[in-house]
Amino acid sequence: MRFLHLTFIFAALSLVSCEELIQIDLNEADSRYVIEADLTNLSDEQAIYVSETVAFDAPVKNTPVSNAVINVRDDKGTTYTFTHQANGKYTAPFKPKETTNYNLTVNIDGEIFESSSYMHDYIDVRSTGITEDVIFTDTLYSVSLKFEDPKNVPNYYKYNISINGKDFSFASVFNDKFNDGLIVTHELSDRKNSIELGDTVTVRRQIIDKGVYDYWNDLQSINPGSAAPANPKSNISNGALGYFSVSSSKIYGFRISFN
Amino acid sequence: MFRYYALILVASLFYGNVWAQAKINISGYVKDASTGEVLIGATVQSKEANRAVRTNSYGFFSLELENSESTLVISYVGYVPLERTINPNEEKRFNFELSPIGREIEEVVISGRKQNKNVTSPQMGALNFTIEEIKNVPVLFGERDILKTIQMLPGVGKGGEGSSNFYVRGGGGDQNLILLDEATVYNASHLLGFFSTFNSDAIKDVELFKGGIPAQYGGRISSVMDIHMIDGNNKNFAAEGGIGLIASRLKLEGPIEKDKSSFMISGRRTYADVFLKASSNETVKDSKLYFYDLNAKINYRFNERNTLYASGYFGKDDLGYGDLFSFDWGNATATVRWNHIFNQKLFSNTSFIYSDFTYNVNVNNDNSDFVIASKIENINLKQDFSYYADSKSTFKFGFNALKQKVSPASLNARANSAVNSINIENRHGLELAGYISHEWNPVSWFAMLYGLRATDFMVQGPGTFYTYDEDGEPVGEEKLTNSNIIKHHFNLEPRLSASFILNETQSVKTSYNRIVQNLHQLTNTTSSLPTDQYVLSSINIQPQYADQVAAGYFRNFNNNTYEFSLEGFYKYMGNQIDFRNGADLQANEYLEGELLYGRGRAYGLEFYLRKTKGRLNGWVSYTLGKSERQFDQINEGRWFNARQDRTHDVSVVGLYQLSEKWNLGANFVYYTGNAITFPSGKYEVDGRTIFYYTERNEYRMPDYHRLDLSATYDPIKTNKRFKSSWSFGLYNVYNRKNAYIIDFRENDDNANITEAYKIALFGIIPSVTWNFKF
Repeated sequence: MRFLHLTFIFAALSLVSCEELIQIDLNEADSRYVIEADLTNLSDEQAIYVSETVAFDAPVKNTPVSNAVINVRDDKGTTYTFTHQANGKYTAPFKPKETTNYNLTVNIDGEIFESSSYMHDYIDVRSTGITEDVIFTDTLYSVSLKFEDPKNVPNYYKYNISINGKDFSFASVFNDKFNDGLIVTHELSDRKNSIELGDTVTVRRQIIDKGVYDYWNDLQSINPGSAAPANPKSNISNGALGYFSVSSSKIYGFRISFN
Repeated sequence: MFRYYALILVASLFYGNVWAQAKINISGYVKDASTGEVLIGATVQSKEANRAVRTNSYGFFSLELENSESTLVISYVGYVPLERTINPNEEKRFNFELSPIGREIEEVVISGRKQNKNVTSPQMGALNFTIEEIKNVPVLFGERDILKTIQMLPGVGKGGEGSSNFYVRGGGGDQNLILLDEATVYNASHLLGFFSTFNSDAIKDVELFKGGIPAQYGGRISSVMDIHMIDGNNKNFAAEGGIGLIASRLKLEGPIEKDKSSFMISGRRTYADVFLKASSNETVKDSKLYFYDLNAKINYRFNERNTLYASGYFGKDDLGYGDLFSFDWGNATATVRWNHIFNQKLFSNTSFIYSDFTYNVNVNNDNSDFVIASKIENINLKQDFSYYADSKSTFKFGFNALKQKVSPASLNARANSAVNSINIENRHGLELAGYISHEWNPVSWFAMLYGLRATDFMVQGPGTFYTYDEDGEPVGEEKLTNSNIIKHHFNLEPRLSASFILNETQSVKTSYNRIVQNLHQLTNTTSSLPTDQYVLSSINIQPQYADQVAAGYFRNFNNNTYEFSLEGFYKYMGNQIDFRNGADLQANEYLEGELLYGRGRAYGLEFYLRKTKGRLNGWVSYTLGKSERQFDQINEGRWFNARQDRTHDVSVVGLYQLSEKWNLGANFVYYTGNAITFPSGKYEVDGRTIFYYTERNEYRMPDYHRLDLSATYDPIKTNKRFKSSWSFGLYNVYNRKNAYIIDFRENDDNANITEAYKIALFGIIPSVTWNFKF
């Protein structure tokens, strides 16, 4: 809820806090498999990444897994087999279709991980814009997309953002719990870097299903004040980390300039 | 149900009468001679019978005497003892007035019986303080705060940097019953926990029960904190106030009709937002950031047998950013009490109590225009009797009917808003409770306080009640359109504490209690927020309960100058509540499906040494403890440390009267860092580093320690009604950067490297306050 975020801004402002880098000894846990499968209709080639977790202080982000056997099967009976390219990246040449259910099977040394995801129809954007907020003395820019939320059905949206041609990174997920059937505006900014005047911003909008929303919503809800941070609820079976999503998507471009 | 209570009542009265002998009871009040304020827990002792009683929370006492002239000694900490010879045949009702000890440093030798209540009373696990006693304890920003002083007692865990939250004997922050003139205060903190809602000007004294909780209290499983407001000076008009860095205070009190009725009104307001007014930015200028408290009380003494008290509290926090956003929250309480003395032996108090806690969020920007409102309230009707049967027995019994209503946050959108209105159903509960307890002193070496409380919590309609499957998905529903009862939670809560008095200065005590809790707070952040949800016991949520056993050794030294105690406890907590991963607690119709139920256990040893008299006084407290929880769905069902599990918790408080003008204070605290969940690994998804968690709360925050100092300068001006003093404080003297949060993140330059950052809240903070009185 947005009001809570605002509250935290107030709280942060009213405190005289300071921070410093510290060393903490963390236990090393047994590694777990991570499956990242974000299939969209933006491309004719789909990619799935398989890796293992690494220790917190490892100098790499993960350990790629190269011997996984990966299949995706749609509800019409077609099976797509993924082949390993390099560094845990597996690809298959196909474009998923709307209103279709897809099942994922990943086999790593006999361990089977399964999931399924439903690809919804795309929900068109009516207009886009740039929002300028002045909070005390800082001017913050965000990009916004305005659309009509389909009434009486739960809808879930995911956005990734790229500033000045850098890699896409996760921005936000939304549901329509509070605005079902209304004209809705989603305001987006980057989680790490602020959007500055003159920037080129690209947004990838995906219509996702509930399982994928739950995963990303768990992730975006974890903050340093969480009483008990936990692993986000994955929609993949057998204890794998990560998620399996098949979504309809579109890309939107923005240039931050004076109107 | 009621017949059962009635039976207990009647039986107890007869029991008393059977034992009554040809002795005479006297009764009355003990008061402060200068203000007329009743004194709670003052001792009235008969020299001949070598027998003493203490005044109750209304300053009332009843004492059984032989049918002949007696010499009474009336005493109270900080007051000059009074000796009176009386003849109970001639006079049976008394008003004893004690004068406060002045500024003289010399210790007043208390005549007669020694002040060894802590040794001889069967009550254990109880601690009490008057505001006077703690006024020189150093505090954050110079704001005297009873909740922060309570945190320095053994068995009471500190809520964290600057927080007024506290954890008693391994229990949760929501398991403390906080009463202000008997009214439940739901959220005892201001400004995200840095200040408590208790303005010390308006408070007379505080009693905290950690174990062996007497049967007249119920509703929270870990502790009871019973706070009494002052009644108001019924002799002279008086004003008192202070100007501090953060807040200013003003209290007015005086007689309405001398010696018969009085009033007290006390207010406090912070003024951080005054600085915002200096801003050139229009939006900032219109922003709000403050809280205030208002306490008021009046009392009227109709005659020697009847006194009426009415008191109330109202407090609010208000944050706002221009007219775009505002967020306010606060408590309100109102208590009307009627004390009636039936006869020398039977004292009655009837209370009618209301209290609530609300919060409101108002958002008004380009595309959202809505209000969120939430409220929890209760109406409580209470009848308490004290029956002073004879010199060996005192009975307390009574009943109460508590009606609770929880209105979860609902969202109210205005026309053309980009959000829809959401209404979550209110929840209703009615709790009927009856209790009886008996304080029994059959022989000089043994005393016990035992009792039974029976509660029936009724889950009421109207509302839709869902049942859930194992995964928390709703599978069934039942709709009630009227206020019918859908479920009863009936519980018996036995209470017992006993003391074996070895000699005048030593005793061994033991206690057992069971307590049940029907109101549950849902918190998923490390600091409690005003937006935390409350739920009542329901068809899914079972009442929380705790069984606690404790034993202790009590010893006083040097003519009761030093009080020492060592207490050990074991507490089992049933039907504890946690959440599923990623639980949606806000505006969720199926909220109960997000809850997990488990159990808890806590045990520990508490060491306490207090020096009560002399120029140097204060205390040392040390707690060695463990607090764990177990949920089938968390941590693969293994026991894990509760967040507030503290292995070591140390507090040292020293107050020193340097001269007639200067008082110094110092305190030092040290405790083991909270148990916390840290990542055990990492991985990458969508180009982002994500942390991998394994065990719940298997890590520790760094240990916390801090030293604070204070000095109070009280210039002496004779023959002047107007008095003023200065208080100076230094919080965190050696500027220790205690960790408030540990944050894990990617290195800015190399995203492959992840780092831990410690975020500290308060470094060294000086404060100054000017206080006045006339």
